[in-house]
Amino acid sequence: MAILIDPNTRVLVQAITGKSGQIQTKAMLDAGTKIVSGVTPGKGGQEVLGIPVYNYVSEAKQHHDFDAVISFVPPAGAKDSCIEAIDAGISLLVLTTEEMALQDVVEVIAYAKAHGTTLVGPGCAGVIAPSISKVGAHPVRFFRPGRVGIVSKSGALSYEIGKTLSDAGIGQSSVVAIGGGPLWGFTQRDAVERYAQDPDTDVIVLLGEIGGSSEEDAAAYIKAHVTKPVVSLIVGRHAPAGKSLGHAGAIVSGNTGTAATKIQALTDAGATVVSSPTALVEAVKAELSKKGGA
Amino acid sequence: MNLFEYEGKQFFRHFSLPVPQSMLLTDAEQPAPLPFPFVLKAQVLTGGRGKAGGVQVCRDQAAYAEQARRILAMEIKGHRVHGLLAEAMVKPEREFYLSITLQGVQRPTLIFSPQGGMEIETVAATQPDQILRLEIDPFLRLKGYQKKRLAQWMGLPQPEVDAFLEKLQRAFFEGGATLVEINPLGVVDGKLVAMDAKLVLDDHNRAAKAFEAELEEARSALWQYTPPAHEATTVTYVPLQGDVGLISDGAGTGMLTLDLLTDLGLDVACFTELGGMTSEEVMYRAMELTLGSGRPLKAVLIVLIGGFNRMDNMARGILRYVREHQVTVPIFTRMCGTMEEEGLALMREAGMKTYYDLTETAQALCRQVKEG
Repeated sequence: MAILIDPNTRVLVQAITGKSGQIQTKAMLDAGTKIVSGVTPGKGGQEVLGIPVYNYVSEAKQHHDFDAVISFVPPAGAKDSCIEAIDAGISLLVLTTEEMALQDVVEVIAYAKAHGTTLVGPGCAGVIAPSISKVGAHPVRFFRPGRVGIVSKSGALSYEIGKTLSDAGIGQSSVVAIGGGPLWGFTQRDAVERYAQDPDTDVIVLLGEIGGSSEEDAAAYIKAHVTKPVVSLIVGRHAPAGKSLGHAGAIVSGNTGTAATKIQALTDAGATVVSSPTALVEAVKAELSKKGGA
Repeated sequence: MNLFEYEGKQFFRHFSLPVPQSMLLTDAEQPAPLPFPFVLKAQVLTGGRGKAGGVQVCRDQAAYAEQARRILAMEIKGHRVHGLLAEAMVKPEREFYLSITLQGVQRPTLIFSPQGGMEIETVAATQPDQILRLEIDPFLRLKGYQKKRLAQWMGLPQPEVDAFLEKLQRAFFEGGATLVEINPLGVVDGKLVAMDAKLVLDDHNRAAKAFEAELEEARSALWQYTPPAHEATTVTYVPLQGDVGLISDGAGTGMLTLDLLTDLGLDVACFTELGGMTSEEVMYRAMELTLGSGRPLKAVLIVLIGGFNRMDNMARGILRYVREHQVTVPIFTRMCGTMEEEGLALMREAGMKTYYDLTETAQALCRQVKEG
């Protein structure tokens, strides 16, 4: 199957009437996602692409069943709308919003955890299960169904590697982009754990980047629990120290967060660490052929 | 935003945290603001000022006059000193380290050490058993049992510790900080006193934003201080040493391309990333930052793979800049994703070549640069 979503996942879109909300809703509908309703405060009663819009999540819940929410709410209102979504008792919340105050993010992560909602994000592109569904911004044309599970911080990097694999004829079970950090509701380690248990994933691709220690945490989990092959690409090897490169989490300070420590930890955990998309394709191919074909 | 010590102490006073009496001086010729002896401390946005000689005790007018002139002229680790904080002498019985941080952790974390005055990284490396770390629940804040542990470590009465922690937590949470660090935290007559203040505020936090605007305005009175340039768009621009420009619409693909180009033996001139909210204007601005720096470039690589980002807007931004500035530097554009047909059509009409595969784009650029 896939991780996080399946063909029956029913989705509510927060800020569905906004520019991003409308464009992404259309793209998700085209990808086969079952979107049942949307919410924008003050726009209740309208429709977007035939989807009914409500003022509150609780109002939408009276008329529709949904188990996932994707939020395109701007930073100032994002915390409250996340808490509103979590209060509806959903299992998955994909929070695309960037530039939220860090303390808001801390609260949303803690609240989601306490209520059993899996929070992916903030500032993330979300998740796609090619040809099945997507709750996120992944352009479907870069992906094809298959048996490789991808996790990435960066959305664009997950498109890039998905596209490179698809162009080489290698499909994906799921592709999840968790956001550039520095705080995450759903971590690389969490994704690896799900892929390890997913019967339809044969090879795990871990796309990491400099900064923080989440790749090291994922490596520790892999070492202790994962028997499936893991192929990893860590970007930012040639980044200058002390500069934040586009992601707030992507900063090397002193000896922590360097590409070298991450590559070492993943190599020690038994992962195949590659340094380019071309090498990644070769390594994934080799692992798949051991399993008996792509 | 990183705060100067005097700003941090102003912030502490606002939250009723005890700090020594002090006064900011912005030129070296002012009369002594406090009775002798007092401490003169360099106001500089970096650590390690004590070791560099930026903190001195002044016992008389002659010493003050000399030290004021000397410290104000200092540069510490490449940072100019922008003022002097004259502070009443405090004679602490003990010195601690105390901070609440959201840097490098997933939850607000209180860090305490009885070894005050040393860099906490040094204590962590050499005496890890001398550090107490307490995770703070964002809703419940520090819990009773956590505060009891801290009072035991401090060896101070519970009410004194509780009252101080209450104020410190308010400063961190209500102030919108990502770091509140007191090192040293003095114990004077059994009472806690913040002898230093290192604060970082979260630029995305609404409470912090209001305070930051006030601080920025007040900084105009500082010695030789120029406010940092604020980028109005979401573009990240990091200048590097080389001669190949790099623009990307994602941090991850940007770093990947930086690695690919460097592995091909090229030197990248800058890392320009568009950030979250992209538009024609944002792309134009990225072109301006990359090509308008005045530094000679041999080529520019633009890596675009749109999810949220629309390729028609990207093409418009690129083409407008190229037209308006008659750009002659070779530009290699990889464009795919949302609204790609529209974007590619615009590029084609303007006679601009585009690529589909990232590795091939980087290799094509490499051939151009190496073979001219």
